[in-house]
Amino acid sequence: MIINHQILVLGGGPAGLNAAKYAANAGADVGLIDSGVRLGGQYWRHTGDISVDHAMHHNFDQGSLLIDAVLTNPQIKVYLECQIWSVSIVNDSIVLRSLFQIFQTQKLIIATGAYDRSIPFPGWDIPGVITAGAAQALLKGSGVIAGKNIVVAGTGPFLLPVAAGISRHGGNIVGVLEAAYKTSWVKGITTLIRSPFKIVEGFGYIKTLRKNKVELRFGHAVTAAHAGADGLLESVTVANIDRNFNVKSTYSLKCDVAAISWGFTPDTSIAGALDVRQRVNHDGSVIIEVDDDQRAIQSNALIEIYAAGESTGIGGSELALAEGAIAGLAAAHDPGISNQLRKLRRRAQKFAHTLSKVYPVASGWQSWLTSETLICRCEEVTYQTVREAAEELGAIDARGAKLMTRCGMGMCQGRICGRSISDLFDGNQVDRIQFASRPIITPITLGELAQEGLL
Amino acid sequence: MITFTFNGVELFAISGQSVSAALLTNNERITRYTRINNSPRGLFCGIGVCFDCLLIIDGKPNQRGCITMVQSGMTVEIQK
Amino acid sequence: MKNNPDAIIIGAGVIGVSTALELTSAGLKVLILDRGSVASGTTSAGEGNILVSDKEPGPELDLALRSRNAWFELDEAIGGGFELEAKCGVVVARTELGVGKLRRLTTAQRQHGITAHDICSDELHELEPNLSPSIEYGTYYPQDAQCQPMLATARMLSSIKNRGGEFISGATVTGILVQGGRVSGVVTNRGRFSAPVVINAAGTWAGPIAELAGSYLPIAPRRGFILVSVPTRPLIFHKVYDADYVANVASNNSDLQTSAVVEGTKSGTILIGASRERVGFRTGIDFTVLRILAQQAIELFPILSDIQLLRAYRGFRPYAPDHLPVIGEDPGIRGLWHNAGHEGAGIGLAPGSAQLLSDGILGKSSFMSSDAFSPSRFTAELAK
Ligand SMILES: Cc1cc2nc3c(=O)[nH]c(=O)nc-3n(C[C@H](O)[C@H](O)[C@H](O)COP(=O)(O)OP(=O)(O)OC[C@H]3O[C@@H](n4cnc5c(N)ncnc54)[C@H](O)[C@@H]3O)c2cc1C
Ligand SMILES: Cc1cc2nc3c(=O)[nH]c(=O)nc-3n(C[C@H](O)[C@H](O)[C@H](O)COP(=O)(O)OP(=O)(O)OC[C@H]3O[C@@H](n4cnc5c(N)ncnc54)[C@H](O)[C@@H]3O)c2cc1C
Ligand code: FES
Repeated sequence: MIINHQILVLGGGPAGLNAAKYAANAGADVGLIDSGVRLGGQYWRHTGDISVDHAMHHNFDQGSLLIDAVLTNPQIKVYLECQIWSVSIVNDSIVLRSLFQIFQTQKLIIATGAYDRSIPFPGWDIPGVITAGAAQALLKGSGVIAGKNIVVAGTGPFLLPVAAGISRHGGNIVGVLEAAYKTSWVKGITTLIRSPFKIVEGFGYIKTLRKNKVELRFGHAVTAAHAGADGLLESVTVANIDRNFNVKSTYSLKCDVAAISWGFTPDTSIAGALDVRQRVNHDGSVIIEVDDDQRAIQSNALIEIYAAGESTGIGGSELALAEGAIAGLAAAHDPGISNQLRKLRRRAQKFAHTLSKVYPVASGWQSWLTSETLICRCEEVTYQTVREAAEELGAIDARGAKLMTRCGMGMCQGRICGRSISDLFDGNQVDRIQFASRPIITPITLGELAQEGLL
Repeated sequence: MITFTFNGVELFAISGQSVSAALLTNNERITRYTRINNSPRGLFCGIGVCFDCLLIIDGKPNQRGCITMVQSGMTVEIQK
Repeated sequence: MKNNPDAIIIGAGVIGVSTALELTSAGLKVLILDRGSVASGTTSAGEGNILVSDKEPGPELDLALRSRNAWFELDEAIGGGFELEAKCGVVVARTELGVGKLRRLTTAQRQHGITAHDICSDELHELEPNLSPSIEYGTYYPQDAQCQPMLATARMLSSIKNRGGEFISGATVTGILVQGGRVSGVVTNRGRFSAPVVINAAGTWAGPIAELAGSYLPIAPRRGFILVSVPTRPLIFHKVYDADYVANVASNNSDLQTSAVVEGTKSGTILIGASRERVGFRTGIDFTVLRILAQQAIELFPILSDIQLLRAYRGFRPYAPDHLPVIGEDPGIRGLWHNAGHEGAGIGLAPGSAQLLSDGILGKSSFMSSDAFSPSRFTAELAK
């Protein structure tokens, strides 16, 4: 079955929701696709149980209003539990494929969001080491606290809501370890205060943590994880680190969960297949490049591709909303993109840029690795194997290392390790972009691929 | 409350939860053993990106527990 | 040394590097240049099949046989490390026409040194228990082998470097220096290098290199897609393909041709390759091609229907109009040698081609005549 829409929006997070809403209000016929069972994306992930959801979120009112507006808009058709596994351009149309449908459009808005950035360290594959986003998703999406004694670590403003959320719902946080130094963190907080965004949220989190006597340590990081006899996480090594992330001293902390995040990695998996231009952002992540109307750059004049939200650069939900609105209006060819909206987006962008400078990930993390540390979790490729590829076999970039060692070739297709491998090789733009391209977005069976009628 | 089985043992879950969440609630943290080193793995990214939470669900291997909603009567097994 | 090598090799693919290795072993000082890094071109897309089974009697078959053995000698010589394996091939025929064709092919092949056992249904399904029960005829080729092309090329390169050869990555050749009908060196973005011998091993891009020297090579891209499954338990034990594949390889039809070659790998994945299309360097993925490959693989192995596809990738095989590689000295420019255009068999044919070319440069007699591969075969075409 082929489904046509004037505008297709891929991703039902803040960016995609707003894009769909604005495009529909401008008169367009919109299809909104998301793989999840509910709309909302990462930020407004919810259980569907109203009482739980409002308790879990600081800002769910805004989310549920927007989700309702989208679900009740007759101009928008929502496709949930609809994982798009591939996209391509066929006869000057954009084709998106899910297991049961084929979508066709001339105008696509990419709003595929981001996932947690992880960096490898000894023991990061032990069950119990998770991303901060995973802890958040468990809480917001299933109402479950990830463990009994939880360490939250890494860097970035995201650690606060994760720790505060767990703490508020009765979870025991044994420590919040922020790699940034307090002086720069204070700068970040000042930015938070001065910005029109998230003021209430930011203070709320700190208050919650204070009230529950959760310790917030700066200049600290989890540099190793240790399993007990049962193979599960038992403790972590916490290091006092310098600004370059080199270890100054360490101590051990008992915990059954370590929720660790180093910011986010934009999900640009589909950009390569559509041949839209990508570039490396100031924070080192690969993003889809867009113009002032959120339009992506590609060579086919008969189609239009836009992108909004985290896939165009990490900036949080407020920026995603602003970008989504502009993308929606631009795709609907509505001349009324207000200066106010553009200003809002610019402010949110500036804010995101400043924040990213407060929370840098310095290259010293590479000194945490031992020769046995896995770099690629899927294919179980160790740091030593990657180093040998470089030293003995002449691999000079992530692509070479991948083809020689299989790092990045496993089930996640390099989503988790790709960024770190590129960083290990100090890879150039082309190499980083190539590594982030995944024409088969998620696995499907060969039987499904073999079905007749597939465009 | 609904029930599902994990390695043949009946467990409780709340409908609307992910399989991973249901397993964690039941204190089950290992979802699979790796192909090469046979080491245990569990939930990692929580949103369908890392493919570490792979399980055999209703007989099908390589299913991501974190993005699969638990269903009444579902059979879930560790993947080796 | 960079300024006085005995030979400059353009292209660090499997062909360029195996040629350089051969020359190094003969005592020459080599300098290898590539615009990318080692094996960053078509070599990294190759599946690593070292096949004799898909060759019809003729010069390419002789080259393939020599190469196949040379790969095993090389494995010894440089200490392995590139997953060389005598994997053996199983070619099946599904139609009566196919059976007839296959039997005629094997009869001819046997007369040219290929071991080919015609096998019946029971033997076939013993070799490949998951093969479709409806397939009853096949041939078993114990000489078919495989390697990991990227690693093979990288290992050969480090052996060359250990023996004093040099490699410069990120060096794009932008000019070829010719004086009085003789090559004298190359110009790159990383400087000029002179040598009395220059070898064009630029694969699919060998045409433009010939052009830089004022010569002509009609080498064009033939696109191929490969499907890679998620890792599974062992399901397929040999290289298995349909007899139609042989017809495809030699075909002149520019339309899409697919005939799935299916194999399991050491890493647990199953590879399904490869389509053949002449569509220039067209980027993007054509899902109808992937679909047909999946259908054909499932026809051979119904069990694959439930196996997940993880990745798909593409490469551009370098092909000449007559589907034969170009190995020999340029007819117009002395000292300029070509080793390119190996189409879908460059991995398999690499060490033999390297030997043939090296023997030519050194003026030695070789294991076979290189006449059929001579670059001069295109001059007549050029005159038209
Ligand atoms: C796990 C996680 C938790 C987070 N929690 C918070 C939080 O609590 N507070 C906060 O301020 N920020 C949080 N963030 C940051 C978050 O990135 C932004 O706040 C915001 O959600 C970004 O909006 P977006 O619309 O760009 O993308 P997202 O909200 O990420 O939405 C993208 C959507 O696209 C869908 N999608 C992607 N690819 C496909 C495909 N191929 N087929 C179908 N659907 C697809 C995804 O399922 C997802 O719903 C979180 C991020 C992550 C990764
Ligand atoms: C999908 C697919 C599957 C295949 N499977 C098999 C198989 O199973 N078995 C088999 O035997 N063969 C296979 N092949 C064919 C095989 O990969 C090729 O024949 C072989 O790799 C060609 O090697 P090469 O060294 O000539 O070319 P390449 O590996 O492309 O090397 C040429 C090099 O020249 C460099 N170069 C180009 N221009 C310049 C310049 N101006 N300056 C400097 N450097 C330059 C390039 O960067 C490149 O590295 C397959 C091919 C494809 C596409
Ligand atoms: S935990 Fe990463 S895919 Fe499920």
